[in-house]
Amino acid sequence: MDITRRRILKGSTLAAAAVAAPHLWLPTSREAWGATLKKGEPIKVGLLFSLTGQLAVPEEDSTLVMQYAIEEINKNGGIAGHEIKPIIIDAKSDFNVYSEKAKELILREKVIALFGCYTSASRKAILPIVMQQNNLLYYPTCYEGAECTQNTICTGPLANQHSKDLIPFMVKNFGKKCFFVGSNYVWPKESNKNAKIWLQNAGGELLGEEYIPLGSSEFGPVLNKIRDAKPNFIFSTVVGASDIAFHKQFKQEGFKVDSMPIASLTTGEIETKAMGADVGAGHFLSAPYFQTLENPTNVKFVENFLKSKYGKNGSTHYNMEETYLSAYVFKYGLEKALKKTGNIEEVTSRMIRDVSGGIRVEDDISPEGLIWIDGDNFNTWLKPKIGQCQADGSFKTVYQAAEHVAPDPYSIYPNSGKCTADGLVAPDGKARKNVI
Amino acid sequence: MPHIEFASVVNALILGLSIASIWLIAAIGLTIIYGTVGVINMAHGEFLMLGAYTSYVLQSFFGLPFLLCIPASFIVVGAIGLVIERGLIRYLYHRPLDTLLATWGVSLVLMQGVRILFGSDPKYVSVPEIFQSNVEIGFVSLSVFRIFVFGFTAAVVAGTVYLFYRTRFGMQVRAVMQNKEMAASFGINADRVYMTTFAIGAGLAGMAGCLFGVLAIVLPTMGTAYVVQAFLVVVVGGGTLLGSVAASGLTGELHSIFAMVSNDTFARFLLYVLIVVFLRFRPRGLFAVAKARR
Amino acid sequence: MTNNLFHNRTAQWAVYAAFFLGLAAIPTFVSDGFLLNQFATYGVYAMLALSISLSWGFGGILNLGQGIAFGLAAYGMAMTMQMQSQDASNPLPPFMANNSLEHLPFFWEPFWNTGFGIFLALFVPTLFYVIFGSLMFRARVSGPFIAIMTLAMLSALNTLILDMQPYTNGVNGISPPAALQIFGTEIDPYSSKAYWTVLILLILTTVASKLLTHSKFGLVVQALRGDPERVRFLGYNVALYETVIYTISGLIAAIAGCLWVMLVQYVSPAQLDVTFSITMVIWAGIGGRLSLLGAILGALMIQGGQSYLGDQFLNTWLLLLGGFFILVVRFLPRGLAGLLEKILGMAASRQPRQPDPIAPPHAVGAPAK
Repeated sequence: MDITRRRILKGSTLAAAAVAAPHLWLPTSREAWGATLKKGEPIKVGLLFSLTGQLAVPEEDSTLVMQYAIEEINKNGGIAGHEIKPIIIDAKSDFNVYSEKAKELILREKVIALFGCYTSASRKAILPIVMQQNNLLYYPTCYEGAECTQNTICTGPLANQHSKDLIPFMVKNFGKKCFFVGSNYVWPKESNKNAKIWLQNAGGELLGEEYIPLGSSEFGPVLNKIRDAKPNFIFSTVVGASDIAFHKQFKQEGFKVDSMPIASLTTGEIETKAMGADVGAGHFLSAPYFQTLENPTNVKFVENFLKSKYGKNGSTHYNMEETYLSAYVFKYGLEKALKKTGNIEEVTSRMIRDVSGGIRVEDDISPEGLIWIDGDNFNTWLKPKIGQCQADGSFKTVYQAAEHVAPDPYSIYPNSGKCTADGLVAPDGKARKNVI
Repeated sequence: MPHIEFASVVNALILGLSIASIWLIAAIGLTIIYGTVGVINMAHGEFLMLGAYTSYVLQSFFGLPFLLCIPASFIVVGAIGLVIERGLIRYLYHRPLDTLLATWGVSLVLMQGVRILFGSDPKYVSVPEIFQSNVEIGFVSLSVFRIFVFGFTAAVVAGTVYLFYRTRFGMQVRAVMQNKEMAASFGINADRVYMTTFAIGAGLAGMAGCLFGVLAIVLPTMGTAYVVQAFLVVVVGGGTLLGSVAASGLTGELHSIFAMVSNDTFARFLLYVLIVVFLRFRPRGLFAVAKARR
Repeated sequence: MTNNLFHNRTAQWAVYAAFFLGLAAIPTFVSDGFLLNQFATYGVYAMLALSISLSWGFGGILNLGQGIAFGLAAYGMAMTMQMQSQDASNPLPPFMANNSLEHLPFFWEPFWNTGFGIFLALFVPTLFYVIFGSLMFRARVSGPFIAIMTLAMLSALNTLILDMQPYTNGVNGISPPAALQIFGTEIDPYSSKAYWTVLILLILTTVASKLLTHSKFGLVVQALRGDPERVRFLGYNVALYETVIYTISGLIAAIAGCLWVMLVQYVSPAQLDVTFSITMVIWAGIGGRLSLLGAILGALMIQGGQSYLGDQFLNTWLLLLGGFFILVVRFLPRGLAGLLEKILGMAASRQPRQPDPIAPPHAVGAPAK
């Protein structure tokens, strides 16, 4: 349905350009671009994920779960009687396409918000246009932090939340000596900087730190170094296909999970399924969500999702759940903004973001339990959990934080300043906007 | 630089051999196709991927044990290669650089076709329990699967050498390589030689893909990770079998040593630069045959 | 000489003029910022296809590493734009502070000055092409080996940029937060000003390339595409000619790199990705590498198709694209421009067998094996 409409829309654009009828193209002022919502019309949002290419493995699930969440919200009356209409884009795992399509969604489709990206690189590719047009990006997964813009809301854990409990847990249960392995890019390095602090606090010792090129599947040299170093456990921030190769080769090279488990920030249900249960079993994952969480909300979510037409890939995992939450954070934000203005046509993307601080997704909606959005940096307060992979590839919760952990994008860079709603406030009191 | 122990160096050298065998098995199909037919096959990575998917399908849907999946992949991917050769490549033999474009199109079609058929989530291939263990002799440690890959590669090389240097077919191939017209005048059907060679090359890639599905992951995009390396091996080797063996041996060892003393990413950078410098001095590769100019 | 309209110089110039007049007319009836930005981005792709057509179509140098010039220049431009939003009290780009740098690295210093920064963005890749090109061509590397050497060099640089995270921000790349300020004005990437900047440079580079191919230098270059040995015997310094045409094509790609960052405010190692460089070759191959305008149209067509058809055929787009390539290569080796040439040729003459004035059929694009 929406495809047909979009095709007509585009067709007419092209036709107009070809016929060159100047009266159809009255100049529009820059200010007019921002306006987005119309009374009685569907609320357009963009889903900017990759359905093809390397990034399709996690991002296809993100698109599916967003469609599911939107359908669920629409079925329950939409937002103030308005239906949400997703515009689905395939970003083809190509950062050029992310950038181009973000422009199209914001300038042409005039969406009120974007949901998208799985990697920081793609996020950085689209942030210039999102910031310039004061639009709103829901970034629904974990990232390194060290960013303070007025146009993003993140529903995944930051580096300062992600490994906070995992490292002390591993030190306590397996020993002090640790080896870091990560993919060679920004997020693993930033995560490891945080992990080093937790390791030091827990009295642990770092034996080595290795980075593997993204997409590489040759872990021989690294495993040799690990064999020489003899750590008690490995802390892994290897991502994607490499992560699966790492776990497989770990086992093939004769390493034993009981004496040297891998504690990972990324090895979730998709990965354990693809590496084979016997390879994944026994290793640890820190995440706010596992498919096996036993609260009633999650049981219902898993059941409904898997039997819906969007559940074809057969599992739920932390990245999907964080994406699912972002749909509700958006719904509540828009409702709050609407309450403030009273008129949906006056609501802007930036206004939604500004009122989103403190928004709570209660445990009757949120499968991972209550979360809320920080009023300063617009990341999420959540409870990290630690799961151990079982023989069937699912995770058994072995630890859960007692209290919610605060997100702090600049926790290890106090000299950069503090992220507030209006920008990054440096120690000398100067505030700078849109620091990326 | 960290203190380097003797044991680490020995381990790195042995690992280097294993890495070399992986590079070589990835490159061997490409070597044959490039060396004989002169086609720059950009779809080589997708032939690897098809091999991995063949083993996945045969195992998951027909219950074939892993070891039988390997020869089955040779047949299936070889047959696909045959179809592509008959339907497309054979029209392009006199335009070698255009095969690059055409096979790039083929790679897009294969990758997207597999994605539509099987979805974009990674697939799992199970292997016999023995491949999930390692052997330790003194301070040397190596996984059984790596030893298997090494042995398998050696066998494939031996088999290929036999085929190309000890059989009638091999003699025909070499005759066609040296002078197509002259060979034709002796009654050798060059068209059929090209066709068979292309299919064998594709089949070898399929077998390699089977192994990579176990070492790493089965995904529609898995081939891209190997294809650049395979190209480098072929070009450094000059397109001959012996050249590829030597080139992969060198690059594998260098990779392993560099990765031991620095990090993996920098090792790759050094390797690429070395290859460029090497080609500057040996632009036709290690053991290039002097080709007669037309 | 045949009377094929395709080879008529006056007709060629007329078509170029009409094409560029058409492009120049666009801002008078399009003021939609998105479209202007998108068309300008296509202009950058067109420039890349043009550069490939020069080196591959005319020089016979199959360059699979054009991302080297494009990417290096893009980084230079991104550094320039990034430094525009820093000041003396806050000299470090945010990502450097997060990578434990305390001072601005020395090679970032020159980028404080916008003019000098852009000069460096163009000069460094050009110099790189001079050195790398003369290294290759003096060793008489040819054909597929050039393709692989450029590919390996591209991969090396890509890996290096990824690894030098404190200075380049690794895989995340550099996103300058504000639009380019130059000559006292801001070039808003969604304005007709940005579109005009790209278009004027596209026209300049195209006309210069066209004139170049018609010059004596261009004729020698085309001759060595057909048979470098023969040209060498005639006393020409083949390596010099090859290096020069390779460098010129690199300079054009570098200009494209600068413009691209001006338009998208972003650069990452993805710009030095192997796939992207191959895509440039594909544009030129589809459009027709022997025709500058053909290559340009190839880029516009493929990228336009990707933008406007890609979402409608979500799953099958890559299948269609791949199939289209295969068909073009199989049946139209000189791309769509070659098809036009053939049609015009048939219209011009009823003679059954036309001698081919551009290149013998067995030497298309490649030195003889």
